[in-house]
Amino acid sequence: MTQASPAPAAGAQLTTTKTTVEFRAALVAMAIVALIPLGVSNPYWLGVLIVSMYFAILAGGWNLLAGYAGQFSLAPATFAMIGAYTTGLLGTYYNVPPLLGIAAAIVVSGLVGLVLGRAVLRLVGPYLALTTLSFAEIMRLVASNTIDITRGDLGLGVAGLPIGRLAWYYLFLAVLVVLLILFYLLLRSKAGLFLQAIRDDEVAARRAGVDVVFWKTAAFTLSAAASGLAGALYAHFAELVTPELGLIAQTGLILSMAVIGGMGTLAGPLVAAFLVYVLSEWLRDVGGYQLVVFAALVVIFARFFREGLWGLAKAAVRRWRQA
Amino acid sequence: MSAIDVDLAVNGFITGLFYALMAIGLSLIFGILKIVNFAHGEFYMVGAYAYTLVALAFGVPVWVALPIAFLVGALVGWATERTLMRPLYAGYTSWGLMRDEYAVIVTFGLSLFLINLVDKVIGPYAYRGPPLVETSRVVLGPVLISGHRLLAAGIAIAVILVTAALIKWSFWGQQIRAVSQNRLGASLAGIDTAKASAIVFMLSGGLAAFAGALLSPVINASPDVGIFPAVKSYIIVVLGGMGSVPGAIVASLLLGVIESFGAVYLSYQYRDAFGLILLMLFLLFRPQGLFGEKGREV
Repeated sequence: MTQASPAPAAGAQLTTTKTTVEFRAALVAMAIVALIPLGVSNPYWLGVLIVSMYFAILAGGWNLLAGYAGQFSLAPATFAMIGAYTTGLLGTYYNVPPLLGIAAAIVVSGLVGLVLGRAVLRLVGPYLALTTLSFAEIMRLVASNTIDITRGDLGLGVAGLPIGRLAWYYLFLAVLVVLLILFYLLLRSKAGLFLQAIRDDEVAARRAGVDVVFWKTAAFTLSAAASGLAGALYAHFAELVTPELGLIAQTGLILSMAVIGGMGTLAGPLVAAFLVYVLSEWLRDVGGYQLVVFAALVVIFARFFREGLWGLAKAAVRRWRQA
Repeated sequence: MSAIDVDLAVNGFITGLFYALMAIGLSLIFGILKIVNFAHGEFYMVGAYAYTLVALAFGVPVWVALPIAFLVGALVGWATERTLMRPLYAGYTSWGLMRDEYAVIVTFGLSLFLINLVDKVIGPYAYRGPPLVETSRVVLGPVLISGHRLLAAGIAIAVILVTAALIKWSFWGQQIRAVSQNRLGASLAGIDTAKASAIVFMLSGGLAAFAGALLSPVINASPDVGIFPAVKSYIIVVLGGMGSVPGAIVASLLLGVIESFGAVYLSYQYRDAFGLILLMLFLLFRPQGLFGEKGREV
């Protein structure tokens, strides 16, 4: 698939620089997001931005798995649902305080990700997509049919936190930035190269000594844990968990953010999560065409602009420098 | 076997016939391009709408509306192949995305696009298609069945047999099978592989749309009506072996009967989960399915 890759040493250097540039761009974007509440105090739009950050965490986590490690899972929304139900059920039945519940959600969704990652190790491409899609549907069916425990489609009430909307805003932002730094440190290290080597050519990576089993499983676990964290936070923010969190359409939204932003780039999916979600709220007001527009954009970007908005921005900067 | 069991078996078998119309096309697409078409359910949806709207809005007789649905589905399939599938085998050079990922993204995106486009343009309401015959029930021994369902089952059998025969013996069918076995080899032997892919997509789109039309009096046409039949056909192609047409037909009938009995004897709420669990077990432990060849890499 890959053509004429540079020598290993040069490749390592190249990737490090590329990741660092993306990391800086993402930090700038997060700084802008941190300043928005200075100008916007409308609780509705703050809420929209909080949900954008929820999706940014999901898109970032999925990007680590799909964009960097090349493992095309169709279950990111499911792990958010698992995380949300973990803290919701613990709080409802065992009076576990929210913070402990959120920690448990990270562990539980990470473990489920570990098991799923181990199970699907040898599946590639369409087989992996189908297996994870079925896993997602089975989990959703279980959540909506075990009515005695989860109250099914009615949803489970979850305790809120005694903080205001602005505090929620910065809590989500803090989590997002911490995850961004973690992902950056991971991708800058050798692990980042291992993951991308697996994506580009698994057999060659194994021959070159990459522990493919370990790194694929690790990518699944980390991605699932990040999604679970996002879901648990969201559960306490919305004070409700429903099986709808795990709908395939939610996965579609996450996927569209990553594709539009640019898969396999640190900054693209994060920034695109904000653009896509804020734009979708605005489009909802002017006729409800948001899903038509985004689905069309996903197809167009995948077909013609495979590097996403990040790739387009990079090309624009290059052209500007040359002029 | 009690009377109820006979009834369940016959009705499950008939459901399986409709599944087969979907699954044959999906299996052919997998065979020729080695991808799963995640927009397959939307071919079904397009057929259900084409049949229903043509018959209701323009008063076209049902026997004319049925082939129209097939043609509309074939057209959508052809357009999909021309606009989105060509990069899978033509001009494959510098890639930001890998081949499999590209296929999943564009078909998944196309599916979301068509569902929401129909939802906005035609509306989220469900339309009931006119039945082929008005006879409400036919009693065959212990089996109770509506006249439409019986007739639709007969048509489905005929269409499945004709399709299988075309793939087996016709000139283009043989070319399609050659491309499925070895795309490079087939093109070296002078076969137009692009044309073969286009034909496969037209046939698949048409068959799925035909299933949608036949079932529209039972399952009303709505924007997301294709999701369930699509999920069923994913299960079937995995059970039957990806790319195997006979496997798809046998697995369709099998799944229809399993679901029919499972819903009564195991759990009605989880009737849709049986197939999904089978899918996961097969992919994990027997990825070549019942009839196919190897399915995963070591």
